[in-house]
Amino acid sequence: MNVPYSWLREFLPELPEPEALRDVLDSLGLAVEEVRRLPAPPRGVVFGRVLKAEPVPETDLKMLEVDLGREVVTLASGAQGARAGIGLAVARPGVVLPDGTEIKEREIRGVTSEGMALSPAEMGVGEYAGGLLELPADALEPGRELAEVWPAEVVFELELTPNRADAFSVLGVARDLAAKLGLELVEPSTEVEESPVARFVTVEVADPEGCDRYLARYAGGLTVGPSPLEAQRRLLAAGLRPINNVVDATNYTLWELGNPLHAFDLEEVAGGIVVRRAKAGEKIVTLDGEERRLTPDDLVIARKAAGGSEPVAVAGVMGAANSEVTETTREVVLEAAHFDPVRVRLTARRLGLSTDASYRFERGVDPNLPPRAAARFLHLLQRWTGCTVGDVVVDVGGEKPRREVPFRPSYANRLLGTAFDAESQLAALARLGCEIAGEGEPYTVRPPTWRVDLNIEEDLVEEVGRILGYEHVPTEPLALIPAPDNLNAEEAYRREEGLRRALRGLGGWEAIHYTWQSPAYLSLSRAPEPRRFLKNPMDQSKNALRSALYPGLLQTLAANAGERHRFFFELGRVFPDGEETHLAAVLGGPLLEATWQAAYGEGYPAVKGLLEALAARAGAKIEVRPEPHQPLHPGVSGTVFWNDEPRGFVGRLHPQVEEALELGPVHLFELVLPLPEAEREFRDLPKFPPARRDLAVVVPEDVPHVEILDLVRRFGGPYLEAAKLFDVYRGRPLAEEQKSLAYHLTFRHPERTLTDAEVDGEMSRIVAALLEAGYEIRD
Amino acid sequence: MLDDALAEIRAAISLEALQEIKVRYLGKKGRLTQAFKAMKGLGPEERRARGQELNRLKQTIEKALEEREAEIKAAELTARLEREREDVSLPGLALPPGGYHVSTQILDELVEIFRRMGYQALTGPEVEDEFHNFDALNIPPHHPARDMWDTFWLEDGRLLRTHTSPMQVRYMEAHTPPFQIVVPGKVYRHEATDATHEAMFHQLEGLAVGEGITLAHLKGALLTMARALYGGQARVRLQPSFFPFVEPGVEFLVWWTNPRSGEGRWLELGGAGMVHPAVFQAADEAREKAGLPRVYENVTGFAFGLGVERVAMLRYGIPDIRYFYSNRLAFLRQFPRP
Repeated sequence: MNVPYSWLREFLPELPEPEALRDVLDSLGLAVEEVRRLPAPPRGVVFGRVLKAEPVPETDLKMLEVDLGREVVTLASGAQGARAGIGLAVARPGVVLPDGTEIKEREIRGVTSEGMALSPAEMGVGEYAGGLLELPADALEPGRELAEVWPAEVVFELELTPNRADAFSVLGVARDLAAKLGLELVEPSTEVEESPVARFVTVEVADPEGCDRYLARYAGGLTVGPSPLEAQRRLLAAGLRPINNVVDATNYTLWELGNPLHAFDLEEVAGGIVVRRAKAGEKIVTLDGEERRLTPDDLVIARKAAGGSEPVAVAGVMGAANSEVTETTREVVLEAAHFDPVRVRLTARRLGLSTDASYRFERGVDPNLPPRAAARFLHLLQRWTGCTVGDVVVDVGGEKPRREVPFRPSYANRLLGTAFDAESQLAALARLGCEIAGEGEPYTVRPPTWRVDLNIEEDLVEEVGRILGYEHVPTEPLALIPAPDNLNAEEAYRREEGLRRALRGLGGWEAIHYTWQSPAYLSLSRAPEPRRFLKNPMDQSKNALRSALYPGLLQTLAANAGERHRFFFELGRVFPDGEETHLAAVLGGPLLEATWQAAYGEGYPAVKGLLEALAARAGAKIEVRPEPHQPLHPGVSGTVFWNDEPRGFVGRLHPQVEEALELGPVHLFELVLPLPEAEREFRDLPKFPPARRDLAVVVPEDVPHVEILDLVRRFGGPYLEAAKLFDVYRGRPLAEEQKSLAYHLTFRHPERTLTDAEVDGEMSRIVAALLEAGYEIRD
Repeated sequence: MLDDALAEIRAAISLEALQEIKVRYLGKKGRLTQAFKAMKGLGPEERRARGQELNRLKQTIEKALEEREAEIKAAELTARLEREREDVSLPGLALPPGGYHVSTQILDELVEIFRRMGYQALTGPEVEDEFHNFDALNIPPHHPARDMWDTFWLEDGRLLRTHTSPMQVRYMEAHTPPFQIVVPGKVYRHEATDATHEAMFHQLEGLAVGEGITLAHLKGALLTMARALYGGQARVRLQPSFFPFVEPGVEFLVWWTNPRSGEGRWLELGGAGMVHPAVFQAADEAREKAGLPRVYENVTGFAFGLGVERVAMLRYGIPDIRYFYSNRLAFLRQFPRP
């Protein structure tokens, strides 16, 4: 919402200077996005009256004869609106425009163009660059410097929150400023001279839910043409495009008061107006030239004709070309209505058509504003054009009552932590237009109907805070004793933090990836088939929610191809079906990179070591059992058992994926959180010495260590404390495809020293079991 | 004998040689020991004189041995030290540093600040239902307020949460006041990315509920946070704003001094306010459906939320948010933190 300072000042004569206003607006919650300074038109730009406009053959140009007072000059212009009988802004050769362009004489078809007629954008006074600034022929005396009557302007660009529908108007902003600063507010005039009307229209509202108020008024004796300079200056500063005096008056009133208005050519709707639901498939050509297909959910304004009615506007959104005001219009029907916010929003969305009107209706327009807005429109139009104003007012729906909201000043203080006295609180509400009744708490507050956002007591508390100022809210510490069911609420998060910390400590770099992935890439990286898809992805190809973390980490490996230390991890959400939290790590090189010393820690043992270190830090037992997993090399792939539960996989990336992504050997793991916790109980420190034995088992190459370990544990008896692999040997004297696995075994009895004979007994059971299983014992 | 002994001792160049000399003279069969033994045949006078002489001799030899031993040890030490010399300027073993993503660092820092104030940290689902993301937060369907959150919708009708606020309701559905929590996590906005906008970023949500909680308590919590982040001089300002799930709703600003330029300005850091009665009501209604008692009728509370990447960008002067998920080591390595 752009608010020109001079417009505000019209209603607030004591308004402080623009520099002081920014903070005040911010403190009211009318956030200032930007303060723009619009310059006056450049020196040398003068008012000219077009005497004659002749087309230049075989071009789109016209040659204009323009009266500049002391002289009549010839100008070439390509603008459509350039025509005799209007006024223009003319820059003579030598004038420098705000964008640095210098106007020069040009030769066109043998005629000299002695200057240039300007658009508002070329003058620097507005954004509109699509046509010339068109003024009434008698706006100024020809030759007058425009800068003398067109001062520089300061425009506040407000970023308004959707609750503050009332502030989507200059008057709304002025009202807030008046309440905050205690300024006198001069309401805009609605005085008109009314006269009887020979003919007018009837209005029927067939859908009162969609339209709870419809007001129609009459203006006649019109000459449609450019609006006065002052009005156009305002509209341009606000970022609007001047069109003609009738349309400009509706836009001016909209911007000023916040009520969208629409003017119909009376001739076109003379049969009467009906507000009704559109018929399925009914069509309308809106003012932007688009043909639009309607549904019964859409509300239309229709003109009655023999045998039915035909839409002339999409209610609250946009009018139709068939009834618009044109140069030949002499009489208009002005519509000032109130439409249902949700219906307008749905229609605007369906049509993909957000207009100044729909934007305001969606947010909530004062239902009691139409009479006043209509009167203001008529006042402006009469002042600008001298038109007649009809004394007839068609008002279907009528005045709406105010809501009642109970209010306790003591509650406001309890919520704000303030000590505002009741009197100043009530005064603040009164300054905002609230009516207050009652002798004590709870007071009955009746907010003005333009404040559609004030419905409950807390809303009024906010108004008190806004007007009296949040700077009066003290700062206090809060100490509370949580209810018992909140204890340990953060246990899960703490565990996640612990896992992250451990991997960082081991040298991992945490990466964060987008939650969306392309199904093609997930398939390429052999991740689970995605199950969750975005309906409206940013990038159509990346419409799947990731089904695993490691594909993203592989991309990060690739993105860091030039780096030597490539160990990345991520802890985040994935959506294999339901939402899960995973932890994954990828290793694309040695854990310790080479310096003048050799690199250290590569391949599967490195990634397995990371996993073991992670488990050790978490105090968990970990085991990996060979098992194929889709993403992994089938020969280097295992299931991770964390405290005896399968929680994920570890291994080498499938060579097909390595090749497809042009990665070297990659080792990785991915775990599903939360990881199961083991029960912890204190065990007394060992009091008796352990007995140690070594054992070497010769097994075929494809027998994994864990199988031997299982046997050793199963037959090791109650005093086998530990079995640790210390060597894997291949080669002579072993046969091909055989390996020797050597273990340190530790036995210990809690209450006495084990005898050699006892330990030998345990060992022989283990050996017997291994032999039974078909393995050899190596001496 | 003395001259022999002293000459031998001087000539010894190792502790082993010295030990041999010691044995040769002072050992059981050593020359000096033999000489003591040979005193047996002497008369008392002579024996005493001879004994004194031999004792002096012994002391002299022992002293010489000790001195020589010390010399040899010193020499050996010097030699060893020289032998063990290393070029300490050579690079060390390349122990990997490792580190958190800068967003995680800021989140962790914020979480720790609020833990010190008694908050607990927890997370919520990133795929949300419309009820928790919008309706329960007093953002009804077709309300223009929904335009404040451009949403990624899933094909199944759910959505990627647009803020961490849904956890307000989820937490209240299952827990009893009083409590104070913070919710760190990823959020999603269906917005075109540019230097300051990302479709995915991180937020920290805060919620404190109990009896007698006021906006002043919110200001206190935010001031404590601002001081922890920006130092003891930090100031906090509340400015009216609108978020449908709080009433009154505010935006909080922190007076921030740019560490690079030294210039100070008010910085919009996040949104906050007093929990809207409709949110308490939504939580209580969900509790009732689940067979739990209504517990949010006589409490007040405040909530706040802030964007994490913005804090990081300002602190480190990162010019473009699009660097964050590039995951380039060249980026990640720039934010080491113990």
